[in-house]
Amino acid sequence: MYIPKESKFDPINGHFGIFGGRYVPETLMPILLELDEEYKKIRFDSEFWGEVNSYLKEYVGRPSPLYFSKNISEELGAKVYLKREDLNHTGAHKINNTIAQGLMAKRLGKKRVIAETGAGQHGVATATISALLGLECEIFMGAKDVERQSLNVFRMKLLGAKVHAVTSGSQTLKDAMNDAIRHWVTNARDTFYIIGTVAGPHPYPMMVRDFQAIIGTEAKEQILEKEGRLPDKIIAPIGGGSNAMGIFQPFLEDDEVECIGVEAGGLGLDTDKHGASLEKGRPGVLHGQMSYLLQDDDGQILEAHSISAGLDYPGIGPEHSFHKDNGSIRYDSITDKEALDAFVWLSQKEGIIPAFESSHGIAYLKKIADEIKGKTVIVNLSGRGDKDMVQARELLHFD
Amino acid sequence: MKKLVAYLTTGYPDIEFTKDLISSLKTSVDTLELGVPFSDPVADGEVIEKANGLALKNGVKFADVLNLAESSPIDTYLMGYFNSFYNQKMEILIPELKRRGVEGLIIPDLPYEEALQYRELFNNHSRDLIPFIAPTDSKERISQLLKGDRSRFIYLVAYAGITGSGKTEDLKRVIEDIRTSSTDELYIGFGVNEESAKEKSRDVDGVIVGSAFVKILLDSSISHSEKIVRITKSAEKIKNIINE
Repeated sequence: MYIPKESKFDPINGHFGIFGGRYVPETLMPILLELDEEYKKIRFDSEFWGEVNSYLKEYVGRPSPLYFSKNISEELGAKVYLKREDLNHTGAHKINNTIAQGLMAKRLGKKRVIAETGAGQHGVATATISALLGLECEIFMGAKDVERQSLNVFRMKLLGAKVHAVTSGSQTLKDAMNDAIRHWVTNARDTFYIIGTVAGPHPYPMMVRDFQAIIGTEAKEQILEKEGRLPDKIIAPIGGGSNAMGIFQPFLEDDEVECIGVEAGGLGLDTDKHGASLEKGRPGVLHGQMSYLLQDDDGQILEAHSISAGLDYPGIGPEHSFHKDNGSIRYDSITDKEALDAFVWLSQKEGIIPAFESSHGIAYLKKIADEIKGKTVIVNLSGRGDKDMVQARELLHFD
Repeated sequence: MKKLVAYLTTGYPDIEFTKDLISSLKTSVDTLELGVPFSDPVADGEVIEKANGLALKNGVKFADVLNLAESSPIDTYLMGYFNSFYNQKMEILIPELKRRGVEGLIIPDLPYEEALQYRELFNNHSRDLIPFIAPTDSKERISQLLKGDRSRFIYLVAYAGITGSGKTEDLKRVIEDIRTSSTDELYIGFGVNEESAKEKSRDVDGVIVGSAFVKILLDSSISHSEKIVRITKSAEKIKNIINE
């Protein structure tokens, strides 16, 4: 049974070094302090985790396979394994987190949940567990994302959720989160906010990392079983950074394993159209946390850009900012074009259609092809590409 | 006499306008909250959010707000989101506020715990960081938040929510708890307008009005000078109502 473990990187008083914290209106502070207390009680509680694990096994279909990607391995001269989070119920890693937060909401006696979503995967995962657990569910999604991820919008509605199209600002994930926070402040007493990534005010970054670290915990067991040794590298895409934190976490104290987070390079880091907060941003405060942010000289938040709605965000989870500064994780980026090429490459080489987000991780294999020759590498295939079909058809022109 | 605090988003329709407006408000307004426009004002409702966006489109910078605050004939605080202030480097900004005669800061997303590390800085330069109390706070938390330092006033958030909504909450318990913890003046903000001011001001020492004024700022059907006249009249009316 999966139960999170204490880590030397656990936040201290809600902070990862200077990052993290709780930068929220006072109205929310008592709610966050209560959540923190509640989470301390259940973090290692076998009864709570028994229930979570039972859903993860019977409902989500865990453990997800660690698949040896034979054709790609041959082409690259490396051993490439894919952690198949795309095979989870609802098609991505997001549901690992929503099941656990949904059960927490019930423990706290909240009957309503809200969530922000970018690509719609977290919105779908939240709508799904709301149906399962009998919770009322409202989803905030940028109007631009509502358009480019129309299939996921329909899925959320089909699952019984109400979807708010947010028309302010850049009309993407950042603005969806602004409105989710406004709704949360207004309904703080009876509404549980299910944050979809390792971001937001403490304790969310730590909670979501714990809920997603099942990915790395399984991957570690699986690779030891298949290879008898730890991998040389682990690659994962990062928007907010939950799938990456989830797979990296159990390996961070293994010096021989290099963890690499791949940000959205958009049209290139030399343009202003990307989502590379770590490479091009600097520390600041947004959405309840201190972290690296894309911002102008006056501290105004800049609009991010990515082909992938899930990576189209000007910030990043605070623990990633912390690891960037202490050097325990390596960070780099992949452009829209490289990601789209990898989307086709994996589809045609392995018969696996990755999500645009996950395509960034796949593309990185090619970017560091020389470095990985003869090495064992795990890529976190965080989600499947079904949701991206409408957008892909317009971009690829196969006819 | 009960006090009136006015919040104004700086630089909409333009900086000169804000300057003229402040000058016109000096007889009715006791304290000014000069708003630093921010791209993502999550504690604000759509009225102030919109004004923030328009001010930014006009190219308003932090330095403009600071200059205006310095020239203000009313006691002035800067009100904004923490990223704007953090970006100026707090250890440089706080002494600068003193040098320019700005009273202090009002930051809705910098709660007590995160502000602790800056307390000494504010105290050393005798600047105020206005404490917020919300109706979700317990008696114990209120006592913790108000222990120690004194400030010009305490900002009581009138309801769980964002600025400018029509929500109301029974605040009797919260006000009692604040009064047992502190003798500082207590002002109430969020949702205060000509209609609600009398009722909201009943058990407190002053009101903070923001969205109601900014709504007039945003009214594109009236001229700049008419906006100044209307906001000034509204401020006078509210000041009278709360002191009747």
